[in-house]
Amino acid sequence: MTEVREKGYHHWEGQLQEKKWVFWPITRTGIKLAFERRRFKFLFACSFLPAISYAVGIYISERLEDFKFMARGAERTLQVNPAFFKSYLSLDLIFFMILLLMALGGAGLIADDFRHRAIQLYLARPITRNDYLIGKAGVVVFFVGLLTLLPAIILFVLKLLFSGSFRFFLDYPWLILSIILYSVLLMIFFTCYILLASSLSQNRNYVIAIIFAAYYLSEIARGIFYAIFRSPYSILLSIPGNLQQVAAGFFRVKPATAASWYLSFLAVVIFCLLSYFLIRRKLKAVEVIR
Amino acid sequence: MTAVIEARNLSRWYGNILGISEINLDINQGITALLGPNGAGKSTFMKIITGQLKPSLGQVRILGQPVWNNFRLFRRLGFCPEADAFYEDLNGMEFLTGLLRLCGFSREESEARTRWALETVELQAASLRPIRSYSRGMRQRLKIAQAFAHDPDILILDEPLNGLDPLSKRQIIKLIKEFRDAGRTIVVSSHVLPEVEALTSEIILIHHGKILARGDVHFIRELLDTHPHKIRIQSQAFRLLAKLLAVEDYILNITFEPERQAVVFETHHRDHFFNRLNELLLEHGLDIEEITSPDDNLQAVFDYLVGK
Repeated sequence: MTEVREKGYHHWEGQLQEKKWVFWPITRTGIKLAFERRRFKFLFACSFLPAISYAVGIYISERLEDFKFMARGAERTLQVNPAFFKSYLSLDLIFFMILLLMALGGAGLIADDFRHRAIQLYLARPITRNDYLIGKAGVVVFFVGLLTLLPAIILFVLKLLFSGSFRFFLDYPWLILSIILYSVLLMIFFTCYILLASSLSQNRNYVIAIIFAAYYLSEIARGIFYAIFRSPYSILLSIPGNLQQVAAGFFRVKPATAASWYLSFLAVVIFCLLSYFLIRRKLKAVEVIR
Repeated sequence: MTAVIEARNLSRWYGNILGISEINLDINQGITALLGPNGAGKSTFMKIITGQLKPSLGQVRILGQPVWNNFRLFRRLGFCPEADAFYEDLNGMEFLTGLLRLCGFSREESEARTRWALETVELQAASLRPIRSYSRGMRQRLKIAQAFAHDPDILILDEPLNGLDPLSKRQIIKLIKEFRDAGRTIVVSSHVLPEVEALTSEIILIHHGKILARGDVHFIRELLDTHPHKIRIQSQAFRLLAKLLAVEDYILNITFEPERQAVVFETHHRDHFFNRLNELLLEHGLDIEEITSPDDNLQAVFDYLVGK
């Protein structure tokens, strides 16, 4: 039988939990809100197409004899080695899908809180600004991880399963670590990138414009810089360029340009630190002058 | 006894703009109202005591603990901001449950408390509707619900009765009083004197970031007696009323509003005025449509206090 309670104030006498993951309700809400967008669900499903095609590629590479009629001349492409995983994790299409998904599901992460002035409600709770940021970051990490780390590990496992031996693992024992580290780097980078963009405006549409504009303008800037100076270091101006350079370093593949991948790695780290600093500043500036 | 909220030399600037200046006050258990016109510094003070703003100078302590960066203390604090602060896509239930989870309640407890809080502010029927479809009054009630749902020791309510219909206002006032009766501390800001009077007699007047006066609400009323009260009477017999009352020595000034059939009296002695008015109405059988006090509001008190 339902308890009959008198309307009005009742003192609560239960025990509050000292939670370690205080940010989790924020992350959970962010993920839930993203999935409530119909277009997001469709795009999310589509974003797994590259992973599926790579999985098919692994399968075919293990059955080249059976697929000779259709794989003729593509034997090199179908070689599954560190470059194969590097190519998946630094695929332009993957980066584009991440941007697209996060534009739909992540643009409003901080922007909406600014617009609805919800930050003051969060910060009036027993959470710190860092908890708030970690909660928001969790949303981006979740989706970027689903598009990078998870498929890459599944592809690795599929390779072992389809080949029927641990030979591949023994040939490249460091590869799984590279997959994890590079995926984590992508998660951190895109988290900083999306949250920074989201903190720059209260308008979700402007944030979406910033997300795409900054990404593709950096690539245009690299092209212009390279056309003028013919310098390999022009790659440092490009967001996808830097990520691909770092991927080459992590997967021990020859980088696309002569510039050291360490410099690109440094550029990514500096960008992340700067983003964190700027986002913190934006959060501190949430003050209403009345 | 240590006060629940102690502010010492509290000052806050926004660049060159002064928010509050050298505020020293102790707030004890019960309901205390912060009064002041828009821009007086009420919200700044509330943001400081809820740890959202760092004071430029001075310190504020709640329950003996410093507020700034003391996020564990916020478990004992409930804050209802003046501005709407919602995730419009969530429904009332999800919004409240999420905030309760941030306070450390389990999922089951959060949901139970959410249901209770929504029922208390009579929003249970709309609990599954997106907040974007809520009316202004519903939004206000939801904001209040989120402030008390986690059972805080101290409630900070910034303009809590804004946008509420009279029935909801009465209901929220009753709830705030229940909270007081349970031994809690409540700080309410408002610029509407009758609302404050319905809640408490303990008030703090803030203007230009400084405390102008503090004490019982009747003390503030007394301040009005040092200035002439304005009493506006609307009646078809307004000219006769003016003639009959003009002979009284406590009437300082009479202004006519013939287009509205009204007359405005100025007097230092409101009680004498109303006693005589009653006598005259009975003696002459006069009908009155409306009696108002144009300067019986907070703004008028402020005007007097700041010497406008």
